[in-house]
Amino acid sequence: QTTLRASHQWPGGQGDIRDEMVQIIKREVEAADVGLQIQIYPGASLFKPNEQWGALTSGQLDLSAFPLDYASGRVPQFSATLMPGLVRNHERAQRLNDSPFMEEIKKTIEENNVVVIADAWLAGGFASKENCITGPDSIQGQVTRAAGPAFEQMLAAAGASISSMPSSEVYTGMQTGVLDAANTSSGSFISYRLYEQVKCLTVPGENALWFMYEPILMSKRSWDRLNEEQQQALMAAGETSEQYFAEEAQKVDQELEKVFSENGVEIARMSEDDYNAWLELAQESSYKQFAENVDGGQELIDMALEVE
Amino acid sequence: MRAYIAIVSALSRAGGILAMLLLAAAVLVTCQMIVVRYFLNASTVWQTEFVIYSIVAATFIGSPAVLIDRGHVGVEVLPNMLSPGPRFWLELAGAIAGLVFCILLAWSGGIFFYEALTRGWKTSTVWALPLWIPTLPLPLGIGLLALQYTAEMLKLRQGERLTASELPMEELK
Amino acid sequence: MTSPSVSGALLLIALFALLATGMPIAFALGLVSIGALLLTSGFGSMEIIGETFFGGLATFSLVSIPMFILMGASVASSPAGRDLYEALDRWLNRVPGGLVLSNLGACSLFSALSGSSPATCAAIGKMGIPAMVERGYPKSIAAGSIAAGGTLGILIPPSVTMIVYGIATETSIGRLFLAGILPGVMLTALFMIWTIISCRMKGYSFEQMARRFTFRERMQALPRVLPFLLIVVGILYVLYGGVATPSEAAGAGALFCIILAAVIYRIWQPSRLTNIFRTTIKESVMIMMIIGASELFAFALSSLFITQSIAMWISDMDVNRWVLMGIINVFLLVAGFFLPPVAVILMTAPILLPLVTQAGFDPYWFAVVLTINMEIGLITPPVGLNLYVINGIAPDIPLSTILKGSLPYVICMVVGILLLCIFPGIATWLPTALMG
Ligand code: NA
Ligand code: NA
Repeated sequence: QTTLRASHQWPGGQGDIRDEMVQIIKREVEAADVGLQIQIYPGASLFKPNEQWGALTSGQLDLSAFPLDYASGRVPQFSATLMPGLVRNHERAQRLNDSPFMEEIKKTIEENNVVVIADAWLAGGFASKENCITGPDSIQGQVTRAAGPAFEQMLAAAGASISSMPSSEVYTGMQTGVLDAANTSSGSFISYRLYEQVKCLTVPGENALWFMYEPILMSKRSWDRLNEEQQQALMAAGETSEQYFAEEAQKVDQELEKVFSENGVEIARMSEDDYNAWLELAQESSYKQFAENVDGGQELIDMALEVE
Repeated sequence: MRAYIAIVSALSRAGGILAMLLLAAAVLVTCQMIVVRYFLNASTVWQTEFVIYSIVAATFIGSPAVLIDRGHVGVEVLPNMLSPGPRFWLELAGAIAGLVFCILLAWSGGIFFYEALTRGWKTSTVWALPLWIPTLPLPLGIGLLALQYTAEMLKLRQGERLTASELPMEELK
Repeated sequence: MTSPSVSGALLLIALFALLATGMPIAFALGLVSIGALLLTSGFGSMEIIGETFFGGLATFSLVSIPMFILMGASVASSPAGRDLYEALDRWLNRVPGGLVLSNLGACSLFSALSGSSPATCAAIGKMGIPAMVERGYPKSIAAGSIAAGGTLGILIPPSVTMIVYGIATETSIGRLFLAGILPGVMLTALFMIWTIISCRMKGYSFEQMARRFTFRERMQALPRVLPFLLIVVGILYVLYGGVATPSEAAGAGALFCIILAAVIYRIWQPSRLTNIFRTTIKESVMIMMIIGASELFAFALSSLFITQSIAMWISDMDVNRWVLMGIINVFLLVAGFFLPPVAVILMTAPILLPLVTQAGFDPYWFAVVLTINMEIGLITPPVGLNLYVINGIAPDIPLSTILKGSLPYVICMVVGILLLCIFPGIATWLPTALMG
């Protein structure tokens, strides 16, 4: 009997879809009866979010639902998985999963002794206390907390003031007026109760700038210790959780829109023109810096943009 | 032996002064960040990280000097009840345990620092600070703390106490 | 693999054995944790121990701890405490027990500038204890009231322990600060009432030595309190006026206070400034090392599934929520006898908070109850930081007298906790009213 330890940073047993993915893998693997058990440590109760990558590569942690960009300081290519405008919407995220772009990313992941068990792309949006964030002009002069360095570069290019603040302080920052705008995932917008503070929310919709890759990862060392039967059971469970996620991910965005509009927040969407204006800006800021600073950066961006 | 104590203690004192400077720098940068964002309405990119890593560095680098000043608080009920003979052995046991902790932590921190340095790790932010810079104070400061512990054990042999803590605010009298 | 309860018991025994040698709490916690990890996960855990310790400290909210301590230390090194105390005395000294009221009032006002209790205790006690003894107050009351008044430093914002609680439980530090204000005022009032009652019981006549101040003298004392009030108002504005987050406000407050000490009280000589920083480094390095080691300890406990087992065990007990709260309070009280507040909060809050909120208690209300428990720990033997501070600033009062004088205030704090249980609004009303 082998027990695997799975870690993530979201609340456990309360319906968070990333927690639910791990729960599904646990249920499926244990039902397969291949001598495999999974012990889940939710809510960062074992490893801190940022420490999970090191623990995976060294084999101290077996499984994790992990926002890959957190490791971009160690593997700079991973910044491409939180790069503005590379995904656009959930349907395209599905196509992206089977593209050469993701093949390249997964190859890099494996070079770091980590295996991908299931894919997951989360969408996010913008919210502001001032006005609706649509085109690049609309965020000018606002003190903004962005999720991810590539977004910070693009938003700075649009004339926003970037404040690097921990996500836990975003609510207080908005409330006291330190922050005007924020950019984060749909789930975080709801769980941080930002609808109490903002005037307008830009939902992900058809033209979402913000997407983040948050796969279920497994340490290669732990993977190699399993027998073939166990590996197959894990991969099958990963497949089931991935299907679950694909169905649920859009529901989170709908939930976001519902909660915010029920609380009297204005809802906005980015038009095709807005989206293209942002992409143009990203070409000169985040894409450019990524291409300059990262080996194979330009190729990664080209591959992602090529996907239909 | 006296020379060893003197040299190690001098290094620790220097670390203590460096820790004070790091704290002062952190305070100034925090205020600069407030001014830049609130009054100039400009971006603050590197300040948060700078402040965090200064304070972490001050903690590690300042730790040996705090050991000399008996600032690391312990539960001194038992040592205070004992007569000097048994107390020496109890405090020596505590010192050895403390030394083992320092060696293990400095070692593990050294592994972290070495990997950050050789693999070119950076912080996952726009500033992208090379990670070896903020991680260096861990093996450095705690390594020095281990050396200072051996010096304190030598002092223990000379009849000094290890656990008689001063008051945290005694300098303010 | 041993069961969580066995490994938990072994871990605790090892920890107590190490603590008994008098070695630093931080190092004992760290060694027990590293030992447990090496024994259960093998030598590979060396690869993550350093990163875990480092990661535990590299948090933006934590940087405010040294800064709030610096703020308190710079004001404590200046005569601001004396000025504050004197001004209150001139205005209140015709009121029966006026001196006591001004001492306790000064303690609670000073708490608004200091995140830690020893600083509050030292700043007011330096002046307050000799003055009370000189006017014939019983020594036990003089020492006890200051020891107790000093504990308000961690309840009235800013508060180092509230910051640590906020980080450990992911609650809003701004809200936590607000939750501490009214309970702080309530405790101050309880302390005042008890002091006056006990003076009467000891037959002390309040009128006998009160000096009469003219209106002019009273007015003259006011300007010297101004800089003090200016800082308190300034920090409140920075905190709640959209200028900075609580963590950043600490930096601004520290700079304000150093400038105040340098410009108004002329403390600019390098040696005196160095002393302020040295005191700050000493206290904050101690706290930060305990925080880092607690991170390792929490990791070891969770890794061995001890945390989860304790939580399940308590929730399976299925007792009445007030019985649960009673058990938790007794547990915290006992822990506070031996360990400093920061260590207790870091080791217990992440386990206790889910249970407490599940039982329907408010997390901010619980923070206040937890903090008052920690205040009790500061004035009870064997480890009571404030007792030693008083012993340091008033060496002619024996420790036993300080102890005897402090114990009644422990009862006041227990009464305070009971009042909070009956009227939870004392803690929850202000944050709700101001922050929604
Ligand atoms: Na305070
Ligand atoms: Na105590």
